[in-house]
Amino acid sequence: MKLSYKKNFSNCFSGQAHLEPLAWIFALMNLIFVTGAMGLGVFLLVQSLPIMKAEGLDFWLGENWWVGETYGALSMIVGSLMVTALAVTLALPIALSAALYTSEYLSPSLRRGVKGVMELLAGVPGIIYGLLGISFLAVTVKESFNLLYGNTLFTAGCLLAIMILPTVLTLAEDALHAVPIEYREVAEGLGLSKLQTALRVVVPQASSGIVGAILLGIGKAMGETIAVLMVVGSLDRIPGWNLFVSGQTIPSKLGREAAEALGSGLHWSALMGLGLTLFFMVSILTYSGTRFTEWSRR
Amino acid sequence: MKAKAVEKLVLGMISTITVLVVALLITILAVLFVKGYPALHSGFLFEESRDFGRAGGVLYQSAGTLILMITAVLLSLPVALGSVLYQTEYLSSGKLKTFLMQLTYILNATPTILFGLVGYLFFGVYLDAGVSWVTGSLILAVMILPTLQVSIREAVEGLPEKYREAGMVLGLTRSAQIYRIILPQCFYGIVTGIFLGLARVAGETAAIMFTATTFSGIQLPQSYSDPVPTLQTHILILAQEAVNPESLAQAWGAGLVLIGLVFMLTLVAWAFRTRMVMESEL
Amino acid sequence: MARFKWVGLALLLLMGWSFVGDSAAETGLRIQIVGSTTVLPVVSHAAQQFMASSNTRILVNAGGSGVGIFSAAQGRADIGMASREISSNEKKRFKNSDLKTHSVGLDAVACMVSSEIYQSGVRLLTRAQIAKIYMGKITNWKEVGGPDKKIVVIDKEHHRGTRHVFMRYVFGNATQRTPGTILVTGSNNEEQTKIAQSDSAIGMLSFAWINEDVRAVIIQDQNGKFAPTLKAVQSGRYPIMRELSLITRGEPKGKIKAFIDFVKGPEGQKSVVENGYIPVGVETSKP
Repeated sequence: MKLSYKKNFSNCFSGQAHLEPLAWIFALMNLIFVTGAMGLGVFLLVQSLPIMKAEGLDFWLGENWWVGETYGALSMIVGSLMVTALAVTLALPIALSAALYTSEYLSPSLRRGVKGVMELLAGVPGIIYGLLGISFLAVTVKESFNLLYGNTLFTAGCLLAIMILPTVLTLAEDALHAVPIEYREVAEGLGLSKLQTALRVVVPQASSGIVGAILLGIGKAMGETIAVLMVVGSLDRIPGWNLFVSGQTIPSKLGREAAEALGSGLHWSALMGLGLTLFFMVSILTYSGTRFTEWSRR
Repeated sequence: MKAKAVEKLVLGMISTITVLVVALLITILAVLFVKGYPALHSGFLFEESRDFGRAGGVLYQSAGTLILMITAVLLSLPVALGSVLYQTEYLSSGKLKTFLMQLTYILNATPTILFGLVGYLFFGVYLDAGVSWVTGSLILAVMILPTLQVSIREAVEGLPEKYREAGMVLGLTRSAQIYRIILPQCFYGIVTGIFLGLARVAGETAAIMFTATTFSGIQLPQSYSDPVPTLQTHILILAQEAVNPESLAQAWGAGLVLIGLVFMLTLVAWAFRTRMVMESEL
Repeated sequence: MARFKWVGLALLLLMGWSFVGDSAAETGLRIQIVGSTTVLPVVSHAAQQFMASSNTRILVNAGGSGVGIFSAAQGRADIGMASREISSNEKKRFKNSDLKTHSVGLDAVACMVSSEIYQSGVRLLTRAQIAKIYMGKITNWKEVGGPDKKIVVIDKEHHRGTRHVFMRYVFGNATQRTPGTILVTGSNNEEQTKIAQSDSAIGMLSFAWINEDVRAVIIQDQNGKFAPTLKAVQSGRYPIMRELSLITRGEPKGKIKAFIDFVKGPEGQKSVVENGYIPVGVETSKP
């Protein structure tokens, strides 16, 4: 034990750096960062223990969320997955083909223009999308599908698709554009057309970056709270295969009920359990995304 | 012949899609502008809101958003800077480096509402700061750590090797290298990070809506335990009364102010980033 | 040089903090109020008047009755606003908090429908019909004399005061679960918006939220028919009545007591009336 501690310690500072005071300050800052990041997960875990004890597996498999009686998160989990899946299905083909076109066909100045607009849009706050969602999208969905109400899972999915479009587009475009020009020259020299070059040479070369972009987009869609909360209808129920009904996602449930249970009781613990579930879902996505990137680099 | 036709078709399709995407997104901006502009009477930025936000301006809401932004970045910057410099300049274990990078990515992808929940429990309940601007700033500071870290790391790692070599030749200690060479040379990268962080905080609602904000009763915080009104939560509350035309108009106005703020910060960040790229090419 | 810059910055920060700390000591005069969106307009209005004549700062925030009672009991807020009684569950949970209720007005909850439904002739619903609608046994307006349209059943978040009172009348159980629900809303404004935006919705709202787009229907039960008019309410015949109250932890003292008295007093009661509620002290035979 002692030996390994010493070994680890020497790993923390290279050379004689541990003699410098600045090194210790920086190390402290790093410690704060690590504590913050790990603390988030640990807190979620510790706080959700009571509900795990009370409900067991039923917490994830139960359909009924009746405050004070039973807490089952299945309808929120299913809602989150459906909305995210819809958003990704809608956004992906559009974002990827636009990225391909922007990277391979547009002139440099036009490309910068498109990228500029996308990067600005990637920063538009969720609350603004929410405002647009309840004022236009919900009404449009209601009227064009002849529904009784516009606050549906479909509305939320569409809104999320629009929200993640700029992010996925710019990141995927970055990946495509980073493929060295020599690859294209060689491929075209071999007689491939421009489109064939793009699809058979550039896209495979950029695949890790593209997958990263997609996973980031999925994570963003899964965690969005405020815009979804405003349009999803907030009804806890498993929607079956019907997207045109109201539903609930994990973040929207958290956003609606957090104030009521702040800080104590089983209800709070249940909300923390929901948070933990979401955290795991997003972390696994992110982790596999970065792992995938590393793996394909090799 | 057939292959060519297919190629033309595909090309036509993806070019149309690109045009449509750009058009859709520009439409969104246009709608925001058209809807928000009427609310921006001359004093909108400099008046208090009145009558449940149905009249008046958004002076104190803007002030609250600015307070949260600035405190969050001030709190986050030293930690981000320190941890990146530690990782790039001092840490020698490669495994630990990868782990810390993973941590940054995971923190970056964590849904913001979780920062709100956990942050409230830790800062608000355990450290007893309650629902206040301090709690909000602390939560937001943790939230933007990865944003700052990524920008700073990019700048530090992009530093040409010759600078470091020059420092070593001069016999500078590592600390001296850091504040004589690395910090000045990475200045633009750090500033880029700061502005991207500010922009991210300005747009955040979920993490602060039940941890740091109030709708009425406070103008500017007078102590650390006061909540503040913010543009983001102001829009949220007004937007839920979508049948009341005056409320909705005010919400659009506040939305335009908010998006103006975010865009301005992003543009400044870009300006600094271009500067950084230019410097490094010298 | 650079070192001095950092030291200077650190000192500045410290000074900033001590300044913030100092001013915190001076401002004990802050009242935090949170809770029911039904009571909110009254209290906000009264708070504005109260602040004009005193140096107390009053923070008013929405959240719902459940949040109001919870925050007051936990000491997170000085006053909780509630548009329902403290439930037996809450009484049990907060039995150490010594909650005190101060009634500031009376309110009636109406069964609301979209104006299109009202125009098409649905002017009256029996209690049994409302119950069936919320249980999902009646799903079309034609079954209760309206057009051939599906009913958009709008519910409120389970801790909301309006919901408790309405469900207690309809089902005799304040926390009744309603499988017929299609949308769940939070604040009164949000629900009003949803009913107005739909053309076939039913919901529950306080009288103060009735307007051209959101109409109240007559309610019928074994005791007769009750029109949603202020007259019926004042006569005490209207069946879905409730007290609007402010809740404190222990007996209020000082500024908090002064503010509660202000709301109960003539100026506060004026704002109760202006917001469409019934002042305390008006003779009604409460349910």
